[in-house]
Amino acid sequence: MLFPTATFAIFFLLVLPLSWLTMPWPHRWRPFIVGASYVFYSWWDWHFVFLLAGSTLWNHVLATAIHRSRVPSQRKLLLVLALAGNVGVLGYFKYYDFFVSSTDNLLSVVGLTFPLGLRTIVLPVGVSFYTFMAISYIVDTYRGDFVPVTLEKFATYLSFFPHLVAGPIVRPSELIPQFDAPRDPRAVDTSRAFYLIATGLFKKVVIANYLAGAIVDDVFGAPGQHSSLELLVAIYAYAVQIYADFSGYTDIAIGVALLLGFKFPRNFDSPYAAVSIQDFWRRWHMTLSRWLRDYVYIPLGGNRKGGRRTYVNLLLTMLIGGLWHGAGWTFVVWGGLHGTYLAVGRLRRGRDEAQPTGFALWRRRVVTFQLVCLAWVFFRADSLGTAKDVLVGLFTRWGDASPLVSFGVVVAIIAGIAPQYLPARWPHALMERFARLPVVAQAGVLGVGLMVTSVMGPEGVAPFIYFRF
Amino acid sequence: MTVETHPTPRRRRSRRHATEDGRRALTAGHALVITLLALVVGCLLDAPGLHKSAFNQPAGWKRDVALAITGPLADVSHALLLDRPRKLLQDALGRGDEDKIDTTITFTPPAPVTTTAAPTPTASHPTARPLPRTHRAAFSPKHKLRIWVAGDSLVITPGWAIIRAAGKARAILPVGGGPDGRVATGLERPDVFNWFTHITRQIRKLRPNAIVLEFGGNDDHGYMTGLPKDVSIGDFGTASWTAEYRRRVAGLLDTTNRAGVFVVWIGLPITRDPVQTQRFDTINAIISSEARKRKGGVEFVDTYATFASDSGGFAQYLTDASGRQILVRAPDGVHFELAGGDMIARMVLHALNEQFDLTSWRKKTPRT
Repeated sequence: MLFPTATFAIFFLLVLPLSWLTMPWPHRWRPFIVGASYVFYSWWDWHFVFLLAGSTLWNHVLATAIHRSRVPSQRKLLLVLALAGNVGVLGYFKYYDFFVSSTDNLLSVVGLTFPLGLRTIVLPVGVSFYTFMAISYIVDTYRGDFVPVTLEKFATYLSFFPHLVAGPIVRPSELIPQFDAPRDPRAVDTSRAFYLIATGLFKKVVIANYLAGAIVDDVFGAPGQHSSLELLVAIYAYAVQIYADFSGYTDIAIGVALLLGFKFPRNFDSPYAAVSIQDFWRRWHMTLSRWLRDYVYIPLGGNRKGGRRTYVNLLLTMLIGGLWHGAGWTFVVWGGLHGTYLAVGRLRRGRDEAQPTGFALWRRRVVTFQLVCLAWVFFRADSLGTAKDVLVGLFTRWGDASPLVSFGVVVAIIAGIAPQYLPARWPHALMERFARLPVVAQAGVLGVGLMVTSVMGPEGVAPFIYFRF
Repeated sequence: MTVETHPTPRRRRSRRHATEDGRRALTAGHALVITLLALVVGCLLDAPGLHKSAFNQPAGWKRDVALAITGPLADVSHALLLDRPRKLLQDALGRGDEDKIDTTITFTPPAPVTTTAAPTPTASHPTARPLPRTHRAAFSPKHKLRIWVAGDSLVITPGWAIIRAAGKARAILPVGGGPDGRVATGLERPDVFNWFTHITRQIRKLRPNAIVLEFGGNDDHGYMTGLPKDVSIGDFGTASWTAEYRRRVAGLLDTTNRAGVFVVWIGLPITRDPVQTQRFDTINAIISSEARKRKGGVEFVDTYATFASDSGGFAQYLTDASGRQILVRAPDGVHFELAGGDMIARMVLHALNEQFDLTSWRKKTPRT
């Protein structure tokens, strides 16, 4: 079930009142919301509901066992077992074919064949997101940071539909305590919720979909056919497309959760206004960044084991981050580039410590954005060959005709980037004004916004980019 | 005696709640009312678009229900002039025609079959005479063969591969940007997307010498719009359905050939679902027989055997010349992966090389 569809509107119009009506009785609300979330998930493929249920059961049983066990070696064993289960699921669904074909290709060089055969595996939507949340639950329990809850509460945490298919990746300590106390039906942050939903829809339906159809798909589909200017603009357009697409989705998710009375952490904070790659990762997919920091980088040793090891840890963390996005060498390169950027950034830290202002601020913003865009080339390209064609074409076809660089494309790119440089108080002022409007006027404004979004967006509903991760 | 008096109960004023950052918070009831009202307002303002979306849905009860709701909604919206802002915005964006539901299927009457050689079409002046030709028209980097790729979602991946490969062949110029692949469209439902009008328009606009088409992936149903008056059709594969589908394929091919444009039609592939494969076979049979009738004007590229496994069944992976396993089909068991697209591109380029002389210019170019 996609957010910007009539099906979801009907679903939500049923779930919203029923959720609030059952809220005073958590033992009724929780099964209700789990049921609703499973219906939401089964809309893609009902078979995968069993995978979600199985993951819930597996992690609940092992988290409880870890919590109850007092023997360190036993606790460690249970932790490894739980993690193996989660990584195994991800490995099978996301990486099996990548691993087999890569190994087979490698062995074929020396005339050998890999004994495992290739299979047809359909990736369950959202599996990466809820598996990472399950890993958080297991590791936090092992560390003693979180006390496991009942199966009912854990199932609610893992399957809660606003975050289920594309995040944000919410920690147990952020969400589960909210399930314990009924939310206050007299104090719903509607202005923020509707602002996020409306802007999220606009970003996804209008900006992201338009840029995809107007330039990005054409250029990355056949980079050899396009001029240097088209290639350059398409790279910027993709940077905006993926931001508008993913941040649009999570804005809607956060807004929907707010209407139900729940708070999710922020996932994006004007990432293209970042002044360094480290700053970028504090602003881009923030819940994944901190997950990688807390559950990969720090367990690897973080910066506690000396300079050289810190760089290796940074690189490894980002390589894992890259592979999390997809099984392909392009994602490995993307992760490797970001790992390298972070390592170099750390080396230069002494020089760039001060908060830049004026020209230095803009210089660093521009340089950071270019580095991020360079990495996006690999993220978007369907193969390393395509990425190479894009990068070579950037320098070799200046002067060719550039019909795809239209006024609309330039406006959409600016519309996607410019708001990130606006003062943070502006959206707050807008929300405050909206909140002061009478209820009917608020509905009117949103209704007009829906119509404008629908008219300005291309026909049809394109899937969200992050659904395939 | 003292009488205990209670203060007169004052009417409790509802206390306004605020969010953490001081904004006015509303009740859950208000949230529901705003959501509901916003959707009603949005639906009324957007009613013509919703009605068109409902009309474009696949036949079935969902479409019937959607039409039963959006039809009256569009009438109310129109009566209250609430559809005006949408129209104004569409006009401002240059998309004023988007709400029209076009089911007209018009074909140029087929011309008498000629066996004499037709003049070579050039990029700037496509011939108005029908194909076939008796000699191979020559193209070169200075005078390139203009090709356009179009079809449903199945054409997208092979289309990009064709365009990439064509770009490397110096005598071919892909026109129209990328492949014109429209998801969930076909020849059955001109209301969803009218390919008959679109192809005619694009031929006029892009002036291709050859077009690469792929249709049928969404046509394995028993429901068609744009039927001629007094014509009704039965289920998929029945004689009446086949006759009407054949009429559409033939009309499209004739219209294209009469504009002097050669057609390469990519056949539907074997799919993971054997029932769907059987239905695709029915469509392939119609198209290939129509292609055979227009030898020299249409080439049907049969993809079935290419994508079948050694045992004749569906294959997700195929073994390449160096013995490596390559992924050729998408996880849905219908669409193509990159390598599958490349295989089709080779077949299409082969067909174009058979029809046109794309290489003799090399011999004439003096070596430096």
